[in-house]
Amino acid sequence: MAVWDLSVTLEDLGAEAPPITVSVTSDLHIGGVILKLVEKSQVRRDWSDHALWWEQKQQWLLRPSWTLEKCGIHADARLIFMPQHKALKLGLPNGLTIRVRACFSGSVFRTVLGICKMLSESRPQTELSLLRPVEEKKKKKDKDLSEEVYDLTDVPLTSVSRPCLYNGMPAHFADSPKTEKVYKMLSVPQPAPAPEAIAKLYRPASIVDKAHIHSRWLDSSRSLMQQGVQENDRLWLRFKYYCFHDMEPKYDAVRLTQLYEQARWAILLEDIDCTEEEMMLFGGLQYHINKLSLSEPQAMTSTPAMDDLDSALQCLEVKLDVGGSSPQDLLDNLTAPELNDYLKIFRPKRLTLKGYKQYWFKFKDDSISYYKSKEESLGEPIQQINLKGCEVAPDVNVAGQKFCIRLLIPAPEGMNEVYLRCENEEQYSRWMAACRLASKGKSLADTSFQSEIQSIRSFLAMQQTNPSTNSSQTDDNINTHSLVSPRYSKKYKTKQLAPKILDAYQNVAQLSLTDALLRFLQIWQALPDFGLSFVVVRFKGSRKDEVLGIAPNRLIRIDLGVGDVVKTWRYNNMRQWNVNWDIRQVAIEFDGNVNIAFCCVTADCKIVHEFIGGYIFMSTRSREQSDTLNEELFHKLTGGHEAL
Amino acid sequence: MDDIDAMFSNLLGEMDLLTQSLGVETLPPESSSSTSKEVNFTMGFADMNVESLNELEENDFDALMADLMADLSATENKLVAELEEQKDAKVANPDLPAPPRELSSYVVPSLSTTTSPDTGLNTTYTPLADSHIPSFSPPQPPQHEKPSMEDVEAQIKSDKIKLALEKLKEAKVKKLVVKVVMNDGSSKTLMVDERQTVRDVLDNLFEKTHCDCNVDWSLSETNPELQLERGFEDHENLVDPLSAWTRDSENKVLFQERTEKYEVFKNPQNFYLWKKDKKTLKDMKDRDKELLVEENFCGPSIIVPDLEGVLYLREDNKKSWKPRLFLLRASGIYYVPKGKSKTRDLVCFVQFDNVNVYYGKEYKNKYKAPTDFCFVLKHPQIQKESQYIKYLCCDDSWMMTLWVTGIRIAKYGKSLYENYKTSMAKAQLTSAWNNRSTTTTSTPSTSSTITNAKASGKANGYAPQPPEEPVANIGIEPPPPPPLPPAQILPPHPTVKRSPSPNATTKKLPSLPTKYPPSQATIFNLPAPPLSQDDSSESPPDFLPPPPPLPDPGFLSLPPPVSFLPPPPDSDFPLPPPPPDPAFCPVTNRVPKPAPPPRQLYMGADVPAPPPPPPPSFTPTSSVIKTAPLPPKRTTPMQAAPPGGGDFMSELARAMAKKRANQ
Repeated sequence: MAVWDLSVTLEDLGAEAPPITVSVTSDLHIGGVILKLVEKSQVRRDWSDHALWWEQKQQWLLRPSWTLEKCGIHADARLIFMPQHKALKLGLPNGLTIRVRACFSGSVFRTVLGICKMLSESRPQTELSLLRPVEEKKKKKDKDLSEEVYDLTDVPLTSVSRPCLYNGMPAHFADSPKTEKVYKMLSVPQPAPAPEAIAKLYRPASIVDKAHIHSRWLDSSRSLMQQGVQENDRLWLRFKYYCFHDMEPKYDAVRLTQLYEQARWAILLEDIDCTEEEMMLFGGLQYHINKLSLSEPQAMTSTPAMDDLDSALQCLEVKLDVGGSSPQDLLDNLTAPELNDYLKIFRPKRLTLKGYKQYWFKFKDDSISYYKSKEESLGEPIQQINLKGCEVAPDVNVAGQKFCIRLLIPAPEGMNEVYLRCENEEQYSRWMAACRLASKGKSLADTSFQSEIQSIRSFLAMQQTNPSTNSSQTDDNINTHSLVSPRYSKKYKTKQLAPKILDAYQNVAQLSLTDALLRFLQIWQALPDFGLSFVVVRFKGSRKDEVLGIAPNRLIRIDLGVGDVVKTWRYNNMRQWNVNWDIRQVAIEFDGNVNIAFCCVTADCKIVHEFIGGYIFMSTRSREQSDTLNEELFHKLTGGHEAL
Repeated sequence: MDDIDAMFSNLLGEMDLLTQSLGVETLPPESSSSTSKEVNFTMGFADMNVESLNELEENDFDALMADLMADLSATENKLVAELEEQKDAKVANPDLPAPPRELSSYVVPSLSTTTSPDTGLNTTYTPLADSHIPSFSPPQPPQHEKPSMEDVEAQIKSDKIKLALEKLKEAKVKKLVVKVVMNDGSSKTLMVDERQTVRDVLDNLFEKTHCDCNVDWSLSETNPELQLERGFEDHENLVDPLSAWTRDSENKVLFQERTEKYEVFKNPQNFYLWKKDKKTLKDMKDRDKELLVEENFCGPSIIVPDLEGVLYLREDNKKSWKPRLFLLRASGIYYVPKGKSKTRDLVCFVQFDNVNVYYGKEYKNKYKAPTDFCFVLKHPQIQKESQYIKYLCCDDSWMMTLWVTGIRIAKYGKSLYENYKTSMAKAQLTSAWNNRSTTTTSTPSTSSTITNAKASGKANGYAPQPPEEPVANIGIEPPPPPPLPPAQILPPHPTVKRSPSPNATTKKLPSLPTKYPPSQATIFNLPAPPLSQDDSSESPPDFLPPPPPLPDPGFLSLPPPVSFLPPPPDSDFPLPPPPPDPAFCPVTNRVPKPAPPPRQLYMGADVPAPPPPPPPSFTPTSSVIKTAPLPPKRTTPMQAAPPGGGDFMSELARAMAKKRANQ
């Protein structure tokens, strides 16, 4: 057998270094080539992660037992000997960047699994994937200065399938303060961005823009290297499939947080449409989440087991409390606290300009009574107003020192409008808080009374400060403009926005951090357009471009011009789908002899194929078998011709 | 403080005693018990708010008494023995009633109706503790109490005070007596406390009516003034919405089958894929239906059907109805302003936090609506015409059902599905039980029916003298209700538009057999014709001659009851033990499994593929009501039935045993 020379570049020696030439025969296997190469290089180190990359063919030579002949390698082949794992910059859903060591040789699917295993303690999930970032128009310089990169490249890649927890985080995060900080970044929602920052970021303006984003997904059945990703390149890690299997908030802190971040940015950047009311609720939730994640970071890092224990203990304490309290306490509980003050009342009536009249007001349980004066407060009130089920709205002008509470009180004849005017912020906060609680049927004895007062005060403070002088954020003062999308930022002044967000916030103020995150996600998932990934396609037989929306349970055909849904097909009626890779056409057959076919305009048809296959794969995952991920099936469903 | 201590100890004594008496297993079968029971009653009522009692309609009163007796029967035998002595004790102990007075201050409901209970209004709230505690105070023998109280240490005392306080809290619970109008126009009166959900009340009614318990049974409220109707959701508390009624309200609570209640779970495709063609929807596979339900109700968030379409909005204070493009989202109903895009410029029309959704009836007439398929959004407190009520009108009944159901999904979310699952479980259990009992069935049921009929005659007040069986006696205690003239129920009231004519005829005829499904008829021996005549002539529906309650036959094979004993004292269910049974049986009869579908009542023919209309039986309701306006609800001065019954099976078994004993 003829001996010939094979030249291999050794990446570790630097790009300038000349290739090393080894003499081989065609029946030498890859392992043998590597052995010769390493001997010849005379570098003593751990080569176990290295593998040969065939540059012309853009493929890895990963089977050591295959001979050169079998691989089809001849003397003209340019081979590079390099590590399979390299540093990669990942843009996370929360907008921060992290450096990790990722596998460049396995399929992207596996690479993502590996990254997830490192970042999060949750079971393997397939909903995430990598995509190429949108090019930033700004100069690179100022970006690099401001961007903090969290480095996780030192973290060893564990082969453990379920990393054990240490201090409430996967053990490899507990190594150093630095990595602990990274974990905190991953598992705690980020503070609200500055409104200017939101305005600067890229926002898709149309459905076509949204479709273009989805052309950036990497092919999950090929490796990073094969797709031209280089060491230290920047990619985005995002939730690709809107089907969040088996979410367990206790164990999935990182996953939950990142999903929240992705949802939040989708809303802030108007990636998904929502109404004003929904936006205000999202704003209120963000405000609440920001506040909680700033104030109690400890809660997030405590271990789940400890959480259980804590709650059990608390529960027990409460029980003991009840059992151990004196009869007097119980009596006290039966008599709720009250508020008493002079306030002014005004009932708008048709054609009357009667102003505010002052009375002595008493707030007890869930109703307000008022009397001519304090002295008469022992007798019969002039009127008693039950606030349960009423609507409470602020009518406040801090600059004008106007602190009114507008009440819409339901009565058999309709709603009665009543204004209560308070003297100052202090009084207003207390009465407003009381009214809000009462409208929900809670009394002043409710534990949330104090926190309610607090939040009303902080929102008042927000209206006091001029946003221009206070663009820098302090811990408890959040610019409300950073909680809504630029559309609503433009529409409202701070003065108008704050009460709207406060109003929405009242309804969620009692939620714990996890519950608030979950609520945010719930509302997001209930939006009509949730879960849609768009691709511009050309249907067979049609002369114009249309949009295909791919959702977790269905495909929809959307008119590009009007935006109306033309047709919906559900996966569970799907018989089969085929991709003609030559003419890049996807053909789908549904029950009842419904056949559709289309070519993809904005994205490769592999991306569409993967979306459909991926969602079908997700639907096969049941709760019980969640621990084992059938990778082979996923590959079969999404792989395309590579899978065959 | 000493006073309070004394009060509490007294109170506690009473309560302990009551508890003990509830626990007694065996009963003294004294023959004298019936008479002493009478005494017991008068005693019980002596302390009550008499005015409110007086205004109770007589038949209401009977039903109520029967109800209450169900609870009391367990304790009464115990009480009886001590009665005479108690009477004395009470006179001697004038401060005994004191604790209850104290209680009443906590108890007075926020509604001011309490102050004038004698106005003859439909709603009367009475402080409950005021009445129920005193009614039990007599049995408390002071001599039992004193020694123990004197000896106990302070610790024990305070414990007891604590206990008493807890019971105080219990007594604080608001209770209403609710008159529920049955499918056939008869009515039942039952006590509902504020912790009870509609589901609890439904279960209660199931037990009383022995209906088939299918998932469509629901409670709904009607508002004649606004011509509104709304089915309560099973998880709602019943007392809350009823408290919003005005005092002179003519609103009613109906017990009926409403097919649209859970239609979304039975045929989700009609709601979630409503845009698809009819044939696809009809041919939907069960598996696909399940999948739809799963997708929309089992995920992390509830998905609301994607509804959009032109609805007519009634302009404020104007008579015109303007078409607008409305959209339903989880967060509310939105509309698209003229010339604006659908995606970005939605204007919120209403959010669901503070409103309920109602069906509007006959709005074409009332408000000149384009069609009669209207729904209404309003705050539950609003009972009269107001600018705060939002009226919407749909093109057809199916769109109306879609919208109303969609709104319910948006408003109630997961609870709706939970309710459905609970209902299903209940229905399956019952049907399994019924199947079992029908196999064992049969002939003896006739005889039991006849007995019941007799008993009911007595209970009705025709035999005011103490009857021979102590049990049957109980129902008769209150002033005998004069039977309503038959004419009163017969003609359908003119104002009720729903299929009046067939109804009237069915009513007049001895119609019992027709109300059974054929299959049932073959299995059971139906009541003899004379009985059914009895039915039509003896109008108060509660006392109509009973056919065998459905589960009946199964029990006839059980070992016969040992003696004519009063009900075992351990039954502390809200269920009526045998004595009141006759009163309830007729209802079984009237609400048999295949009762007329309620959708007839308020949806007309619009439900897809309606089954052949069974004899409608709704009309009499209104006529009864009109001729003798019955208060739909009242607070009774008596202790409420403990919420959430107990073991249904054993209860039934016991009831059957009783019945046998009565023969």
